[in-house]
Amino acid sequence: MKPKICVMRIEGTNCEDETARAFRLVGADAEIVHLKQLIGDCSEERKRDLFDYDAMIFPGGFSAGDYVRAGAIWSARIQSKLKNKLNSFVKEGRVVGGICNGFQVLTTLDMLPGNVRAALSTNESAKFECRFVYLKPFGKSAITENLDHNEILSFPVAHMEGNLTFVPGKEDESLKALKENDQIIFRYVYPDGTPANRKYPINPNGSIDDIAGVSNLEGNVFGLMPHPERVLDSFNHFDWTRNPRKVGDGLITFKSLIEFIKKKL
Amino acid sequence: MKYKKLDMPFELVEVNILNASDPELEEISKERQLYFSLDEMKLIQEHFKKLGRNPTDVELETLAQSWSEHCSYKSSKPILRDTIFKVKAPQGLTVLSEDAGVIDFDEEHAYAIKMESHNHPSALDPYGGSATGVGGVLRDVLCMGAQPVALIDPLFFGPLDYPKDKLPEGIKSPNFLFRGVVKGIADYGNRVGIPTVSGMINFDESYTGNCLVNVGCIGILKKKNLLHSRVGKPGDLFVLTGGSTGRDGIHGVSFASAELEEDSETTSRPAVQLGDPIMKEPLIHACLEASEKGLLTGLKDLGGGGLSCVVTEMASAGGCGAEVELDKVPLREEGMAPWEIWVSESQERMMLSVDPKNLEKVLEIFRFWDVPAVVVGKAVPGNKVLVRYKGKVVYEMDLNFTTGSLEYKRPYEEYAGYNGPEEEVSEPENLNEVLLKVIGSSNIASKEWVIRQYDHVVRGNTALLPLQGKFETPGPGDSSIIRPVENSFKGLVLSTDVNPRMVKVDPYWGAASAVEENFRNIIAVGGMPNSMVDCLNFGNPEKPEIMGQFRAATEGMYFAADNFKVPFVSGNVSFYNESHAGAILPTPTILGVGIIEDVRKAVSMDIKGPGNILFLIGETDNELGGSEYFKVVHEKLGKVVPRVYPDKFKQKMDALLKAIDQGLVESVHDCAEGGFAVAIAEMLMSGGFGANVSIKDISGNATRADYKLFSESNGRWIVEVKPENIEKFLTLFENAAITKIGYTTDEKMLKIDDLINIDLETIYKTWKEPIYKAMGEQI
Repeated sequence: MKPKICVMRIEGTNCEDETARAFRLVGADAEIVHLKQLIGDCSEERKRDLFDYDAMIFPGGFSAGDYVRAGAIWSARIQSKLKNKLNSFVKEGRVVGGICNGFQVLTTLDMLPGNVRAALSTNESAKFECRFVYLKPFGKSAITENLDHNEILSFPVAHMEGNLTFVPGKEDESLKALKENDQIIFRYVYPDGTPANRKYPINPNGSIDDIAGVSNLEGNVFGLMPHPERVLDSFNHFDWTRNPRKVGDGLITFKSLIEFIKKKL
Repeated sequence: MKYKKLDMPFELVEVNILNASDPELEEISKERQLYFSLDEMKLIQEHFKKLGRNPTDVELETLAQSWSEHCSYKSSKPILRDTIFKVKAPQGLTVLSEDAGVIDFDEEHAYAIKMESHNHPSALDPYGGSATGVGGVLRDVLCMGAQPVALIDPLFFGPLDYPKDKLPEGIKSPNFLFRGVVKGIADYGNRVGIPTVSGMINFDESYTGNCLVNVGCIGILKKKNLLHSRVGKPGDLFVLTGGSTGRDGIHGVSFASAELEEDSETTSRPAVQLGDPIMKEPLIHACLEASEKGLLTGLKDLGGGGLSCVVTEMASAGGCGAEVELDKVPLREEGMAPWEIWVSESQERMMLSVDPKNLEKVLEIFRFWDVPAVVVGKAVPGNKVLVRYKGKVVYEMDLNFTTGSLEYKRPYEEYAGYNGPEEEVSEPENLNEVLLKVIGSSNIASKEWVIRQYDHVVRGNTALLPLQGKFETPGPGDSSIIRPVENSFKGLVLSTDVNPRMVKVDPYWGAASAVEENFRNIIAVGGMPNSMVDCLNFGNPEKPEIMGQFRAATEGMYFAADNFKVPFVSGNVSFYNESHAGAILPTPTILGVGIIEDVRKAVSMDIKGPGNILFLIGETDNELGGSEYFKVVHEKLGKVVPRVYPDKFKQKMDALLKAIDQGLVESVHDCAEGGFAVAIAEMLMSGGFGANVSIKDISGNATRADYKLFSESNGRWIVEVKPENIEKFLTLFENAAITKIGYTTDEKMLKIDDLINIDLETIYKTWKEPIYKAMGEQI
């Protein structure tokens, strides 16, 4: 059976097309669904039920313009209209993921990391950063369990607020909790895999412990700042003319994710 | 009395022109910021004399919009008709000259392309002006029924280190303008989710008082979904969608059609619109959904002139008249007079033409996307446009008169041309220093500070990025590539370029060179030039000197385009780019589009490995006119601007494209700003390999070492070939000038004869740092 993936959109999300394509390429049924369709605020034929899907992805973009704070408005809408349903969805073990703005939303909703409070704050450069980064995968999350943890992946980042921070004063214990529970799923590294140690621009935003992505305790909710959906084809990589790849690193990543989802079916 | 307030429950003014004397006519034009010439005012007077009544303010304002230089091209049209409109080309043109050009891409798809200037608004409000420029050009592409896939922005500013105390009154610092414009483009483009993949940034004193912000957009559509900017038939409804209408952007086009003045800040600030990308994003979805479902008979964006232009142009193009109820227009401010509603250029609005039977379906789509949509009028038989407000007629005019602006055959200075020798300058002793000076000049230096702020990979279809090469030291690619159709490997190759100093020295060859440089950029990555759009930025056309530049430049563009059989498919003319600080360099910006059949065969400009052989294709002549070398080292403009030789060029192009297609080349870089020396330096530093090179035997009439190194002669590329491919490679070039110049090495040095010997780290640092430093940032 083909897994059914819901890629959610609202006004200002802008990575839903390539995210849906990523899932189609790895054999899933992906549908782009507006939040309004999930909460019944539309005509009958447009309505959708969250529980018809095996996974829900919050894609990147500038939801509602992100004028207040990245992800603030989108998460507020989820909180008021869909949160209970989404909680049961997660409790059942279904997969929820967020990329970039989607990660910011899941963090704001406290669904990530879940056991400790975190926020994605403004990049240390204080600028929007669009550049490729190198990542090392870790942990048993939906997106990283089936990846080769010795392979370094390369995705682009494109964000202004990707600097993972914890509650001031609680940095050490928060980080310890994430480490102990295997919740750090991607870290920024040098091309050879050496830790970035917060060196700019290897770590493009100053994130603590070079964290690029985290999961919840169970691993079925995950989020990451870089964009795997933008490197599905080998020629999407910045250096493909000098370092040829068979497929894009993003495709490898979505394959690993869909394997995880399939196992749960 | 010039004005008479009519007895209405709202503000409506009758303008007494029937009895006005010439000076009074001029006063009226000036007082209401209409920017009419006296001739035009007299024409209007004559028209209303025939009607036996005075115009309302709504009517007069409409004419000011429709007849503005910006909307009517009244100074440029006669010349464009004689030049670039005539290019004969085999490309499958679906549409020429609506809001955007539409050209065949593959059997099923076409691409839509447009470039526009947003200069004057950006000079007053760099952030808002550039952002709304992006918004406007996106709508132009959208209204053909196309999904935008990339943005391209050529920008021109005064020097970033311009001393603040020397700035003329009322002029903002180039540094401030640059920062604001880049942020405006980034914030708008990134939010709306269209990658900004290409552009250029040029700095020159002449742009200090009048920066140039040109914004281009390319989109892709299924040919069956192509929409026209017109009403379908009488009875079709005008449905206004998107943002509400306010007082922002009033007189935008007429303001764009005059020189900037010291007090422009106070008089014309309202002419700058406000953008809202988060209204635009669902607006794109809603329009494309309605279009995909075949529910629209026409679509046009509200740009210059607002409702007045969109209704007039859609009705006129559809062979109909129109009736509009202004009270239906959703407003964001109270107390707006009818003329303000009618000409406001508030952003994020589109006008749909809808058959009444489809209205409900269309409204449902827009409701779903939370985008307001209201019926504001309908198409009617005949050619009269009638506008009512609160039940009263406030406007009633014939389309023929509104759209029939004057054309001007402006006096121009005859283009003299120059066929003498190049200027002699003193020969510098230390060419290492010269190379570093040239590669570190702001025009050539890295634009990474800008590029990183633009999302250039959103949509996941970028197949060649603007920065190419090693992770640590990426260099400046010649073109970017977008793969616009899912599961196809065909790509759109995008380049934009012009060297305004060349155009200043010699408008004919300078403009022809701009065309050729775009082609070279496209070919360098493996693309075949397919079409061009232009943005012709010039000074005041009422000055014969400016008109002479304009005329010669368009002739040069025509010469190149016609010989290469690549058409201009859409364009924009921006005159009056002058301030009290002077006129800009003549700047015919060109955006070139190429097609690459398989993006996986594209080639980047970074050297790929040691032990490969380097070739220089083309001839290096004593052509230093407008060169970066003359500018930064000798502070001269020079005399001889590079010539264009279409026949020779085509031979080289065919050979190089074949070589790329057959996988025989590792890297290619076009020689342009900074000439051969800069091109080879860029290839090495971005690839991380050195080279031993000799220029003793290169073709062309340049003999002096400095001229050989820094001449900007056209028709040249540097190519890296693996030893095992040389034989096959050279057979392709039997009829073209090509010289083996050396080989690549593991030693990270650039060595050119006994002239140049510099390590790559110094080159890269010198190239990368200047803009960051000018913006007060550490690297």
